[in-house]
Amino acid sequence: MTGPLIGVATVFRRELATVVRTPGYGVLAVGLFLVVVGLLAAGGGGATGFVPAVVDLLLPTEVLVPLVAVVLGYRALLSDAESGELAVIRTYPVRVGEYVVGVLLARTVALVAVVGVPYALVGGVVWLTAAPDTGIFATHAGVDSPVLFVRFLAFVLLLGAAYVSLAAAVSALAASRRSAIALGVLALVAGVLGGDLLLLRSLDAGTSPATIPGSLALTPNGAFRGLVFEHVIGVAFAPEGEFVATGRAVGSLVVWPLLGAVVSGAALAYGRRVDAAIEELRSGFGG
Amino acid sequence: MPDEPVAVLSEVARTYGGVPVLESVSLGFVPGVTAVVGPNGSGKSTLLRVLVGATEPTAGEVTLPGATGPRPIGYLPQRVPFREGFTARETLAFYARLVGDDPDAALERVGLGDAGDRRVEALSGGMRRLLGIAQSVLGDPSLVALDEPASGLDPGMRERAFRAAAERADADTAVVVCSHALDLVDEHADRVVLLRRGEIAAAGPLDRLLDEHDAADARALYLAVTGEAAGQAGGEGSEGGAEGEDESDGDETEPAVHVTGVSDR
Repeated sequence: MTGPLIGVATVFRRELATVVRTPGYGVLAVGLFLVVVGLLAAGGGGATGFVPAVVDLLLPTEVLVPLVAVVLGYRALLSDAESGELAVIRTYPVRVGEYVVGVLLARTVALVAVVGVPYALVGGVVWLTAAPDTGIFATHAGVDSPVLFVRFLAFVLLLGAAYVSLAAAVSALAASRRSAIALGVLALVAGVLGGDLLLLRSLDAGTSPATIPGSLALTPNGAFRGLVFEHVIGVAFAPEGEFVATGRAVGSLVVWPLLGAVVSGAALAYGRRVDAAIEELRSGFGG
Repeated sequence: MPDEPVAVLSEVARTYGGVPVLESVSLGFVPGVTAVVGPNGSGKSTLLRVLVGATEPTAGEVTLPGATGPRPIGYLPQRVPFREGFTARETLAFYARLVGDDPDAALERVGLGDAGDRRVEALSGGMRRLLGIAQSVLGDPSLVALDEPASGLDPGMRERAFRAAAERADADTAVVVCSHALDLVDEHADRVVLLRRGEIAAAGPLDRLLDEHDAADARALYLAVTGEAAGQAGGEGSEGGAEGEDESDGDETEPAVHVTGVSDR
């Protein structure tokens, strides 16, 4: 391995070890599994097949997965800054970008474990217990299939990755654990509700409903929901028209994590200068 | 010993909340051990943080004309910040991997060879500080900045911590130590910077300053320059408080009105 890769790999390894040694994340995964199983049992969709199970899980997932992702990410970049260890790390030949990428990759892997494993287990339960037979790998519309649940799981992880990255950005901007929690909750509420509220407001203001598939894709939740309707639920009943612009939705779920990474990197790289500039201004005003 | 500075501060100033903590500080750090001393809130920690780049100055600049290598600067903050849950060896291995150094050799250098498998949170304050010193010299930096390496330690451990730091100083390496332990300053420091209210009250080779102020030792020098008894300077050393009971300059203390200091370059 050479320069930047050593930095990313070393930070990644340390961060992953930290996550593995934090018992709370294991509890989080078990809790998520129990909640998802409970939702399926209450909704009854899991007993019928993958698509009904996805229908039952779609709305709760839009809240649960961002919540878990924010829990995983809200202190990701704050803890080293808060303890003073970031100042030490910065005396080593590891760039801010390498540090951020290493931390984010580790937290995303943690998300895959904490969210992906419970959902995969639930998928396995559906496969084993649902009737009629769900063991058909669909190659055409109208047939329930494990492939549809795998697609759903992929979209779930993309949604989670977007929120992990955004939560990490919040952690880079926050000055303390308390402000990180406050900003994390704000980001969660804005992400889960904000996009839909803006969409409704724009429709109310006279925007054409024909723009919905495009504008829905712009937020992580909208993109996720649209993709699930388009490529999981919609497959079973061949709808007319599209729920979301697929390319734009996938692009959105890729761009949001990148945006979070860029904001995180910028906050760490330029935070001290901004702080000093504010101090200069304050001193200037003071006298 | 060459006089080429490893690091230079030029007209450096820093405020917190609009209150000046460092004012117009110009200094050159040459190879050898430089002790930065001064009362609580005099700006020692801020000076060190500015020197290592952990804090951006509000005015002036820091240059490193003699700091070379993959890791030009080594740094140990006042509060040793290592993550809990990791052993001493794992902690050093993380840093050592970034500079291609050997964590076990680093542990041996500070006498922690037998404590490598102990978790950071299970180490005593002194051992944790020694671990911090081991970290600070990984990658063989040209400038090693240590913020109160002997803080809160018993007499044996503070001597060991200071000696471990001082041993790094050679013809190419400058070790800068913030400290209240004036007996150890006497024993190990080649040069002294005395800070008072964010400004340099005196700076230069220890012997020269002792002669100039007709002082027998660093404690008398401190008294002569700052007008305060060294005992008031705080709890580093055997009388010291627990680790983390720091001098709290920077953003935690509002300094009093400043007086013009002497800038030594």
